[in-house]
Amino acid sequence: MTRNEQDAIDLSQDAWIKGWQRLEQFHGESSFTTWMTRIIINLCLDHLRKQKRHRTDSIEAMDDESGGVERQMPVVTVNPTANLERTELRKKIDDALDQMSAEHRTVLVLHEFEDLEYKEIAKTIGCSIGTVMSRLFYARRKMAALLADARKEL
Amino acid sequence: MNLEQQLKLQAFLDGELPEHEAREVLAWTQRDSAAAALLAELKNTHQAMTGSELQSSLPESREFFWSKIEREIQRQKPKAAIASDVSFFVALRRWLLPASTVAVLLIAGFAAYFGVPKAGVENVADDDSPTVGNNAGHRRRDDLS
Repeated sequence: MTRNEQDAIDLSQDAWIKGWQRLEQFHGESSFTTWMTRIIINLCLDHLRKQKRHRTDSIEAMDDESGGVERQMPVVTVNPTANLERTELRKKIDDALDQMSAEHRTVLVLHEFEDLEYKEIAKTIGCSIGTVMSRLFYARRKMAALLADARKEL
Repeated sequence: MNLEQQLKLQAFLDGELPEHEAREVLAWTQRDSAAAALLAELKNTHQAMTGSELQSSLPESREFFWSKIEREIQRQKPKAAIASDVSFFVALRRWLLPASTVAVLLIAGFAAYFGVPKAGVENVADDDSPTVGNNAGHRRRDDLS
């Protein structure tokens, strides 16, 4: 989510410290892994929010919400990831994630990697289910286009 | 296809639609090639991403990583203890002022209701109080008559 290895390491350490401090709040309603994952996700989101406050590209943020570009993109008819080896595919997806806005990437990662439902993502990020749906849609469309471009380059 | 329809296709793919709506979308994708093509694209992307998170390893040793966390927890422990002591005194001070105000008001209320003992009057009353008031009353009635 952070696209920065050092930030990710620092945040994971913060998460374990926070988990230790809040251990009394863990009552076993979910698994310990789920509980810790929530803490890590929240720390990542706080980190991204702080970064966003420093960012000046408000136009980009507006485009993220409207999804103007992604809606106009032609449908990718050929599966761009067919016959790719898993390692290669992972690398291509990671490169594509690098090119996405934090808003799109966050929703995509939470849905596809963390397997969260729409309402769980909405609750975690603090936005409406509709926003989650549209961001996920634009993110997927952008991912499809980026993977197709990567395949053309081969 | 408008955005609402596109999002419905996606919700169908993610299993987020109620059963009757899912059936409607399925029927729609069977008769609309554009909808079917978009659904296929979304599905390919979803399948490609599932389980495709790039695995990265720590640049430092596992022991070093955990020892840093342990050190930070140990460092924060005394701070937490001081914070709890301080918070006790802060809480005490926060409650002490309203509690003492209420106590003063209660004492003042009791004093006003039951009367503050006055030394002079009590002394007179001790001497012949039952007759003083009555006599005075009789005198007043006598005057009137």
